Amino acid sequence: MPGWPEKRDYIGSHHTRVDAPAKVTGSAKYTSDVQPEGWLYGMILRSKWPKAKITKIDLDKARSIPGIKAAIVAREGERTVRYYGEELAALAGTSRQACEDALKVIEVEAKELPFVVREEDAKEAEAPRVWENAPNLSKPSVQEKGDVDTAFSECAAVVEGFYTTPVQLHHPLETHGNTVSWTEEEVTAWSSTQGITSVLDDAARNLKVPANKVRVISEFMGGGFGSKFGLGVEGGLAARLSQAANAPVKLMLPRFDEALAVGNRPSSFQKIKLGAKADGTLHAFELESYGTAGIGSGNASEGGGGGAEFPAPYIYTVPNTRKKQSAVAINAGSARAFRAPGHPTASFGMESIMDELAVKMDIDPVELRIKNDPSEVRRKEYRLGAERFGWKEKYKKPGSSEGPIKTGVGCAGATWGGGGRGTKAQAQINPDGSVEIRCGTQDLGTGSKTVIALIAADLLGLKPEQIVVRVGDTRFPPSGGSGGSTTTASVAPAIYDVCMKALDELQKQTGVTDARGQNWLAACKQLGVNPLTVSGQWQEGLSSSGAGGVQFAEVQVDTETGFTRVKKITCVQDGGLFVSKLTAESQVNGGIIMGIGYALYEERVMDKTSGVVLNPNFETYRLPGLADVPEIEVILLDMPERGVIGIGEPVTIPTASAVANAVANALGVRVSRIPITPARVLEALSKRTPVPA
Amino acid sequence: MKSFAYATASSPAGARDLVGADGRYLAGGMDLLSEMKEYIAQPKTLVNIKALPGLSKIEPGSKLWSFGANVTIAEIEDHEDIRKTFPALPQAAAEVGSRQIRNLGTLGGNLAQHSRCWYYRHRDTLCLKKGGDLCYARHGDNRYHSLFTGNSCISPVVSNMAIALAALDAQVLVQKADKTLRLTIAELYAEAWRNPEAHNSLEPGDLILKVEVPVQNQRSAYLQMSAKSEFDWALVSCAAAGRLEAGKLSQVRVVMGAIANVPYQVEAANRFLEGKALDESSADKAADILLEKPHLFSDNGYKLPIARALIRRTLLQLKA
Repeated sequence: MPGWPEKRDYIGSHHTRVDAPAKVTGSAKYTSDVQPEGWLYGMILRSKWPKAKITKIDLDKARSIPGIKAAIVAREGERTVRYYGEELAALAGTSRQACEDALKVIEVEAKELPFVVREEDAKEAEAPRVWENAPNLSKPSVQEKGDVDTAFSECAAVVEGFYTTPVQLHHPLETHGNTVSWTEEEVTAWSSTQGITSVLDDAARNLKVPANKVRVISEFMGGGFGSKFGLGVEGGLAARLSQAANAPVKLMLPRFDEALAVGNRPSSFQKIKLGAKADGTLHAFELESYGTAGIGSGNASEGGGGGAEFPAPYIYTVPNTRKKQSAVAINAGSARAFRAPGHPTASFGMESIMDELAVKMDIDPVELRIKNDPSEVRRKEYRLGAERFGWKEKYKKPGSSEGPIKTGVGCAGATWGGGGRGTKAQAQINPDGSVEIRCGTQDLGTGSKTVIALIAADLLGLKPEQIVVRVGDTRFPPSGGSGGSTTTASVAPAIYDVCMKALDELQKQTGVTDARGQNWLAACKQLGVNPLTVSGQWQEGLSSSGAGGVQFAEVQVDTETGFTRVKKITCVQDGGLFVSKLTAESQVNGGIIMGIGYALYEERVMDKTSGVVLNPNFETYRLPGLADVPEIEVILLDMPERGVIGIGEPVTIPTASAVANAVANALGVRVSRIPITPARVLEALSKRTPVPA
Repeated sequence: MKSFAYATASSPAGARDLVGADGRYLAGGMDLLSEMKEYIAQPKTLVNIKALPGLSKIEPGSKLWSFGANVTIAEIEDHEDIRKTFPALPQAAAEVGSRQIRNLGTLGGNLAQHSRCWYYRHRDTLCLKKGGDLCYARHGDNRYHSLFTGNSCISPVVSNMAIALAALDAQVLVQKADKTLRLTIAELYAEAWRNPEAHNSLEPGDLILKVEVPVQNQRSAYLQMSAKSEFDWALVSCAAAGRLEAGKLSQVRVVMGAIANVPYQVEAANRFLEGKALDESSADKAADILLEKPHLFSDNGYKLPIARALIRRTLLQLKA
């Protein structure tokens, strides 16, 4: 049975990212930096109509623009486009300007059709249909457990609420895109992707090229958050343009396009009723919800988990539950998996109503959670986090702080499965002692290369700097997609395996009993001319799944202007054996900052009159800036006996809920819709029943 | 963007001749280039005015300060003596965009910048301001829009500097044909109150040369409220300037930004404050007058309480 070494110099350390110098100096080449000989710019013409029948696309004028080398339609024949921004045509040219000029002269004949872009409008029976053959509102999935109606009558306290969450956009800092070179010999795609193998598979099938003639490379990439698993429409167009132009084509989406057609987190409208026995034990739960995944059906989409449904009553166990969940189609781009699909949405509704219950029953919100949370780990995390955060001193009756600027605190918990398996890897030990590890995973910026280097260094008795880690190439042994917090748990055991085998083999070949550390160089020298190469793979027992995590938030809300400032977040996160503490903490910071965006700023806004996305930029689709980021305290709970567990998803789940609960605690009235904008804070305050003087 | 001719001017008159009827002046380029990239502006000629003599200087004076149109926002933000004489100016400057934008953006450009209305800025909506026949915001999402308007466009003025300068009674020197006009800030924007297609009163070829600020009001302040802490547009902004002697206010001017097509001021509110004690009650009464009869649309009502709070807070800052 394999096991992680007891003595760990690098595993679990705060070692600097191995690719930090490359990233800081700019020598790291991302997809958008790749410039193969003779490359062309690629651009996409998108629908200006939210819904239309496209009868003709004439590319002749576009082809005549100087510098244009290829122009293609996205799909042959008559077709119906169903959202603003759907792909119509694409072209490749020698300059950005040539492409822009050519886009302007493509002639599209279209018959505009009625559309609907807002959930509340779309679910009405008379609303224009997104899909002609089905109503926009799906038949609800209904689940019932126990006797809900009787159970509510047995409750000492019952609370009800209506909570909404917006459509959130992924907006990775590196936009979606590929540089594709399609020659007689091979299709090579430099791809900004979370899954080089899934892009290869996608490319082979869609382009009808044998898989052994496709190569996908993603050496550095700038985030995906669940939206970058496939070749994508833009990748397919880049490939076809490359074939048509007989030159490599780089097609990176503009920021504008990121808001339209490459995924989002579905919205939700949640009507929740929750009841508890006199001692605070949850007894009955009822949920009716709908949300939109755009033109998607609301079922799982590319990358999985892009549907409008979400787990309920989330992390809690309630004996009597009734759930009725629907999806509503609108004329907007489809949802895709988005960091912890379903969970932040589920958490917001459930954790909000938990606090409503706590207030109604006059129970401390942390105590109510400890009483009802089935997870022992999370209960422990609540106790530890409360102590570190200073919950007992900070928690006051809702709305009780003095003055116009009020402070409040809140908390919430998370759960995530994760896991991960199947990675293969290769190690090459060179006679000069240098080591190369090759693995067909990809580093999204989360630190996978660092994880690999730290493990190899510890197992071989070397320094991380002595290991060259190569990932992001389908010519390396396959690993799988990086999503669902599965990468580290899938990759780390394979690196363990390949290093142990390499060490074993080196010792066997050279007769050195312990080739590690000081003996390394001498042992490698004995290899002669040929390097030693060894393959390894994921092994059971070195990683596992299942993470919890809790977060506490402290906020300040200006009741005169509605402005909310997050002062502090404390996060307690379990995760098994943390391989690279520095990058793990960075993941936590990123998750929390993303959660603050979800809580306070982010929201795709659709215009009902024109059907366009009104905020396809960072000016009005706001992301937290440095000045909006609070003090973040990260407490990682080491549980090395559990093996390696990923934490990318759970760390973003409870942030918005904790912030919203803190805002409600500050104000004494709940803003039940995120993002919590100044307008919504002021609206909630204006509806508060005035306290008699 | 659309292709254009490029020329560098060495004198204001030369700039005017180069720019013609279809050209635009290029200084910091912060607003102009983004409009060109979105095909909202398609000038035939760009006339570089960065080298115009004398337009990059801040000239202090005992009675009047003069600011060249090419002075950057960062220079105003950093200038120690401005902070003492006209505190509202660096306060307004510090809230413009990001530091990178302030390093390039100029005073003239800030005053002449165009609407940020998300319908106006969207490449695929032909709104009233762009010559269409519909103000989408009136019927659509108007969370960032005006509470006061003199025409059917409800996009608000967003120049921070205009709000502060209006409170300080500044005048703007504008080259128009072969004359140099002297405009108040109110006059510089008056056309935007009347005409839905106007962002300000400047016509093609008009060139802002200088801004002059009289040293008359001892005290001034600027405050804004945005959704984010930094690098964000004001949801509402407020500037105030005036004299405070023996606890009594005089010559007060309160100006609001992001709630009207123009820097919004109401003479009756200013008059009300004459001779009043500087306290919450007088500030709130001035706010009542200033914010009388707003146009409340579906999403912009929240700006009213913010405006009230800012008026009070800005006026109270005059105490400092």
